[in-house]
Amino acid sequence: NPIVLDLAYNYIDFPSLENRM
Amino acid sequence: PIEDLFTSLNRHIERSEFQQAVKVADQVLSIAPGDEDAMRCKVVALIKADNIDDALPTIQSSQKFPIDFNYFKAYCLYRQNNLEEALESLKSQENNPATMLLKSQILYRLGEMDACVDIYQKLQKSKIDSLEINFVAGLISAGRASE
Ligand SMILES: [K+]
Repeated sequence: NPIVLDLAYNYIDFPSLENRM
Repeated sequence: PIEDLFTSLNRHIERSEFQQAVKVADQVLSIAPGDEDAMRCKVVALIKADNIDDALPTIQSSQKFPIDFNYFKAYCLYRQNNLEEALESLKSQENNPATMLLKSQILYRLGEMDACVDIYQKLQKSKIDSLEINFVAGLISAGRASE
């Protein structure tokens, strides 16, 4: 089977906590 | 104070200490139930710790708060090969590169190669790294290798 990458994973991101610290 | 917890949470995230990040996010949530940043951090940290089995119940338990976790939910369901439900969770989402990539990966696993390839075609102008790898996989599996 051809290789398929999990590109959707790259869009799982933490929120910016800049203004919470 | 909650600011110190977020500072600690941020440090764990920067160091990719995802399990510790989950613990600190839980500490925030014990003080501030439903805090959107803490909830998001917890879910993302669980996913990045490869703990999909705990990420999903966390997402379910957040349903009483006005936070849209449908992308994360769809992603977790995809990882568990619960493909129909994953597609269902994406329905409410607007089209953007993330939702389109996830949808095409789900369609690939469902064997719906033409629909999968259609999405990669649309995404070509978005300049996504390594997109062509999945595009080619879809074309080959669709029996359209000559394209
Ligand atoms: K895949």
